[in-house]
Amino acid sequence: MEKNILLRAEHIDKRFGITHAVNDVSLTVNAGEIRGLIGENGSGKSTFSQMLCGIYTIGGGTFTLNGKELHVRNQVEANDAGVSIIVQETGTLSGLTVAENIFLGHEKPFIRHGIKNTPAMNREAQRLLDEYGFGRIRAGMMIDHYNFEDRKLVEIVKATYMKPLILIVDETTTALSQDGRMELYKIMDRTRADGRTVIFISHDLQEVLAHTDTVSVLRDGEYIDTVASADMTEDDLKRLMVGREIGSAYYRTDWGTPVSDEVVLRAENVTVPGLIRDVSFELHRGEILGFGGLSESGMHEIGKAVFGASWDRTGRVVLADGTEINDIPTAIAHSIAYTSKDRDNESVIVNETIRNNTVLPSIEDLAHGRLLIKRELDRFAKENAEKMQTKMQSTGQFVSDLSGGNKQKVVLARWIGKNSDILVLDSPTRGIDVKVKQAIYALMQELKEQGRSIIMISEELPELMGMADRILIVRDGSISGEYLRDPNLDEETLIAKMV
Amino acid sequence: MKEKLARLKTTRYYGFLLLAAMVVFFYAVFKILTPDNFGSPEHLLSYLQSSIIYAVGGCGLYFIVVMGLFDFSIGANVVFSSIVGVICSEHFGYAGFILGSLLCATLIGVLIGFLYNTLRVPSMIVTVGLMLIFESIAVFAAGGSKQTLAVDYRFFSAPPGSLILAALAFILMWFILKYTRVGTYCNAIGSNEFTAKNMGIDVKKYKLLGFILLHFFVGVMAILTVSYGTTMTALTGMSTMSRNFKPLMGTFFGVAFRKYGTPITAIVVGEFIISIIFNGFIALGAPTTIQNVVTGAALLMIVALTARGRKGSVVK
Repeated sequence: MEKNILLRAEHIDKRFGITHAVNDVSLTVNAGEIRGLIGENGSGKSTFSQMLCGIYTIGGGTFTLNGKELHVRNQVEANDAGVSIIVQETGTLSGLTVAENIFLGHEKPFIRHGIKNTPAMNREAQRLLDEYGFGRIRAGMMIDHYNFEDRKLVEIVKATYMKPLILIVDETTTALSQDGRMELYKIMDRTRADGRTVIFISHDLQEVLAHTDTVSVLRDGEYIDTVASADMTEDDLKRLMVGREIGSAYYRTDWGTPVSDEVVLRAENVTVPGLIRDVSFELHRGEILGFGGLSESGMHEIGKAVFGASWDRTGRVVLADGTEINDIPTAIAHSIAYTSKDRDNESVIVNETIRNNTVLPSIEDLAHGRLLIKRELDRFAKENAEKMQTKMQSTGQFVSDLSGGNKQKVVLARWIGKNSDILVLDSPTRGIDVKVKQAIYALMQELKEQGRSIIMISEELPELMGMADRILIVRDGSISGEYLRDPNLDEETLIAKMV
Repeated sequence: MKEKLARLKTTRYYGFLLLAAMVVFFYAVFKILTPDNFGSPEHLLSYLQSSIIYAVGGCGLYFIVVMGLFDFSIGANVVFSSIVGVICSEHFGYAGFILGSLLCATLIGVLIGFLYNTLRVPSMIVTVGLMLIFESIAVFAAGGSKQTLAVDYRFFSAPPGSLILAALAFILMWFILKYTRVGTYCNAIGSNEFTAKNMGIDVKKYKLLGFILLHFFVGVMAILTVSYGTTMTALTGMSTMSRNFKPLMGTFFGVAFRKYGTPITAIVVGEFIISIIFNGFIALGAPTTIQNVVTGAALLMIVALTARGRKGSVVK
């Protein structure tokens, strides 16, 4: 392989608070190749690529493209330098036309003396759409009229029409139908044939092997290896992705402890259009039931559906006494707690005090008649914060000042205070350090011993294997596998059901 | 057929059709209820004349409302700028009247935009604070007395003058939205500020520009308002607040019909519809409170039918 190095990443580093998302990654990418970039959720692949294209600032280290150091502050500057990206989420903007989206930030060729030549811009956008084979998308139409997949196709045009030296495709294929995928693969092949480079991020290892020349593997933010795709099998890649030592002292050490037969909650054919379909399971008293899968598998929606937080859910979630859970107030009134994966937006109110966050679901219980007594609220918040060993100055401290781990402790303290019998914990240890993790695992163990039931949704397989009595794997919105707690259970077995 | 209909629903023609249907509906309702007192050609011209004043303000508000911002000071600016315009007209004639109003209003936009960017507090708070200040300055500028526009400078008080000036404002708005980056960037900022920043858009600059443009249009509204009413009295104590809402109603129409690519038409026709409803109730002899209730309800209904969010989505 006598190829020129197009991109050199040296000691690239990025932290988000205490989370070390990318840790001293150094690698090179050649011109005229398609490089796969794989790793488990949270391995740092998206953060790495988003630093390369200016979405995130570089925490440390340097990118050198074609011998020139990159200093880009946003996507437009990255585009000008020769790097573009198709992101995981929707990258188009509502309220703009298709053409405006394609040329957003690059309107200059259509502007003369400050006046934008909209017809010319529309014509050029339509020409590009036709050239890509997406002619049914009309350049002059508002983007809002198109569905998610069509908007992804617009994004593909937007990211590639200027023929970037490096095209990053970040988990885009899951949003596309087979036809859309084929179009994307063709574009990737053309880019390689032109002597330019594609960095292809995907969880579909089969797809990675079929469409890349080489694959780089990241794990826990660290660079592991780069291998030739032709020499690899899916199992080889999985081994590289997962290859860390499994098992830590802070997980449960009991094996074979029987779980009660008493069913406390039953989900029957739960479906949320586009996210999960026909999901059925039972949760037993004192059981930790784990849900694992890829981030977009639908497993996070299961937590919401159980808590009555999915507005378009069908199927039933029923408690042992026959109560159906169809909304959040009913769930809370029947002792169900929920912590979201999106902690800052869906679990805590960041611009509020620890006290007010903690008492929120217990206000009715703490009220004297219709009056709330501050001393009582303080006592409640303090008592539960101390139980969780939350690091704080006082319960009057704002949650926005706390670390991710302590925010999570506030969320848990809220539900501990509420004495919830069923806890739905979505990614309970996401982005938090080992010490807090340990505390949360210990708490889960304690709650289990008290006979409380826990649904733990997690993208981290070691914690699922370490903590759950039973693991359900979710793939494409359905349950694809069920495993009982077993010391011999390995990550590869679970991954095989996930991808 | 179904596909054709679905396609039609995405075009501007569908937007025009909806607006026209609403005009016809409300016109027909009042014409049936009170055929003699409502809806003659002369009446319709009068409704149009009052509605275009608010439509001009509505066009200005559109720039900031699409960015998710708000401005409570436009009523105070209308009063202040029209008083400045009247005073200037006494010294410099028409030029003083027009330039005085426009310059005063636009400078206020610069100040609001600057303070919003500098203080980094919500636009609503900045503009409420400034509203109180502008009201007081207007009283000081007017010397505590009512300002009357001299008969010589009332070209914009009635058609064709008022229609010409308003039409120029609408054309300017159309030009900015269609032929400059401003419209695109305001929409982009409103859709996702983080992504807009990533696209290299100078968000602060375009927010400042949004406020400047808004208040330039408020300047035009001030000229039309004082010309139409011929006098202007400066009042304090948030009394200018009520002047904010009629332009805002038109803006709601504009935002609702943005998806059809017809925001300006929607602002103008929306204000006309509101004018029809108001005047329809006057023709019926209904008390003002009832008029306000029904107008408010009609606005809610129209915006809910045309712009409500997807079920389950967060609406703020």
